[in-house]
Amino acid sequence: MFLCLVRDSLSPSVPGVLESVARACSPRVEPYGDDVVVCEARGLTRVMGAPAVVAGEMRRMAWERGVGVRVAIAGSHTAAWLLAHLRPGITVIAPGDEARALARLPVSALALLPECQPGVRRAGGSVRRVGETVRRAGLQPRRNTGSKRPASIQLMRDALATLDRWGVATLEDLARLPRADVTSRLGLAGERLHQAACGEDARPLVASDEAPRFVERVELEWPVEGLEPLSCVLARVCDTLSAMLARADRGAVTIFTRLTLVTKALHERVLTLPAPMRDAKVLRTLILLDLEAHPPSAAIDIVEVECGVTPGRIVQKSLLARDVPAVEDVATLIARLQALMGDSRVGAPVVVDTHNPRRSSLKPFTVHSALRTSHSALGTAHVAPRTSHCAVRRFRHPMSVRVVADRGAPVQVVLSESGLALSEPRKDGSKGRVIARAGPWRTSGQWWTADRDTWDRDEWDVAVDSGAIYRLTRNRATERWEVEGVID
Amino acid sequence: MASAALAHLTALLQSRKLDGTVTRPVDQGRPCTGTGVAELDHILAGGWPRGQLSEIVGPSSSGRTSVLLATLAAVTSKGGVVALVDVADRLDPPSAAAAGVDLDRLLWVRGPGMALHSTVGDLAVQRGLRAFDLIGRAGGFAVVTFDVADVPARHLRALPSATWRRVAHVLEGRDTVGLLLGTTPMGRSAWGVSVTLRATGHWAGHSARSRRLAGLEVHPQLVRSARRVGVAAGAGTEAPACFFASSEIR
Repeated sequence: MFLCLVRDSLSPSVPGVLESVARACSPRVEPYGDDVVVCEARGLTRVMGAPAVVAGEMRRMAWERGVGVRVAIAGSHTAAWLLAHLRPGITVIAPGDEARALARLPVSALALLPECQPGVRRAGGSVRRVGETVRRAGLQPRRNTGSKRPASIQLMRDALATLDRWGVATLEDLARLPRADVTSRLGLAGERLHQAACGEDARPLVASDEAPRFVERVELEWPVEGLEPLSCVLARVCDTLSAMLARADRGAVTIFTRLTLVTKALHERVLTLPAPMRDAKVLRTLILLDLEAHPPSAAIDIVEVECGVTPGRIVQKSLLARDVPAVEDVATLIARLQALMGDSRVGAPVVVDTHNPRRSSLKPFTVHSALRTSHSALGTAHVAPRTSHCAVRRFRHPMSVRVVADRGAPVQVVLSESGLALSEPRKDGSKGRVIARAGPWRTSGQWWTADRDTWDRDEWDVAVDSGAIYRLTRNRATERWEVEGVID
Repeated sequence: MASAALAHLTALLQSRKLDGTVTRPVDQGRPCTGTGVAELDHILAGGWPRGQLSEIVGPSSSGRTSVLLATLAAVTSKGGVVALVDVADRLDPPSAAAAGVDLDRLLWVRGPGMALHSTVGDLAVQRGLRAFDLIGRAGGFAVVTFDVADVPARHLRALPSATWRRVAHVLEGRDTVGLLLGTTPMGRSAWGVSVTLRATGHWAGHSARSRRLAGLEVHPQLVRSARRVGVAAGAGTEAPACFFASSEIR
């Protein structure tokens, strides 16, 4: 007998709850993400009572943990799966009655089978932990790729569409067809659908072990204040964690640092790593740098570090490509630079999709895989243009400048030692006389929002007698002149 | 006999990593990284020397940033990773993209981005130097640039005299090119090069209405280089002018 727990669509999804409920009752559990769990219920009747009582008890346990569930018990896990997905509340089918229980269901119900859904996969062991930890970190969860290849899913769907065209309306209709004939016409997908319509399993339940937690906790004999003594504690913690990760061939992608303070407050930090890593020194440095930027408010009593993991990374370098910094080194470097310059001052530049030239943005800097590097070396990636282009040195906060204009066109830019020409000594006799100019180019935007981002200005490129070529703007509303940048 | 003794002495200095200031007449075999500008590559005998601190020097609108972006574009197009410590926060990402820099391969460390007066300027330069030092030590970056072109000279003068020697020492023996971008020469390493630039603006269009900036004609000059001691003997070597076209469509 098998029991299937499915999260009610109206209930919130809480990672790990269904699995923990199933594991509390049954030793053989096969989790499918956070919303479906199948477990063996054969021996539970001896311990907990009749199947209905078992189902009720598990439903109550899930409810106590904040998740409403549908429960189905049947002789096959395929039947339990379908009934739990399609019937609310508790459904109990005696062994051998699966085909009769499924008979009235429409054929389209077979689309709910795990083999037909790309988003459903067996969440085995630590793989589930990645999704969970990333979600707990408040990040966008990774897309759940199906265990089946999309081609096989498509075959199943095609077979269902064919059955629909044949006029097979219910599972009873499908079950009545000879299986050999269905298989010869629809292939293995048709065979599997026929099995499911009869309430039969294609494979036995594959129980998975509980996901190991990579967590290390140290209760200190006396409170630790400051990061220096903490680094010694963290070194010990990270050494142990690193050994655990190496044994399991896993790399940390998320680090949860929980510090219980003497005030009984919990100081929790989450670090998302750009690539799986397990080097103890790197992990310790990253945690320390993060705590340096976000220090705890009081002395520390308990240190707990947990890693969200993913399978270990295999790196193959290329002989054709230039060597790039290791991901671990870059992660440490970025953390150090962010601690030095500030979080928002380090990254890779991004060209913002706007006509406002003053906007700039950064995104996290990551080193690409060796594969892409080798592609670059072979000339299939980024190609630098043959023509050289001159650049603008953009003043992030445009400088106000006094401009003498003749009929709207600038004829003299009044330079000042403290303002415009910051580092450049003024040439003798240079008065900022404009010797060449081009413009104006009118640019405006965000006028429909009427907020501070609105701009409406005329742009000029002007060469002054000192030799510099400035990009000037005149705000059309305030008539104020500003230097946007220098052509350099 | 004398050459044998000299070779022995050089080897001794080399073993103790004290050969940074030993000049050799001509050494064309040292690895270098292309600048992305053919004319400049020619006078630099291949490009910027790796493991050395070199300089791009010139006043405003002399083409310093254009030459720098050409170098970064050449390196990133070959799969290299580059870094820019931008003390005054002057990089314009659209300009960099137009110059051909693969922005995903550029680590941009931004300074405070405000007028660098007194204390803020000193702090910004010191932090920038620390960032430059960290990136240099991390290794793996093909080019690391320290852009202080818009930093007032007084902040640079306030640095201890050994600063640039220390920075050059970090890069020694690595595959990284260190570049300083400034208005005046600051502190290239013994085997590094100093390139001085001057430029003239080219304007297209006959009428005032149709006029636009067509680009910059840049005249690079190699001021001093240990690699060229035998050839130029310290005198400036001028390269043919190179043209950097304006990428903006008006």
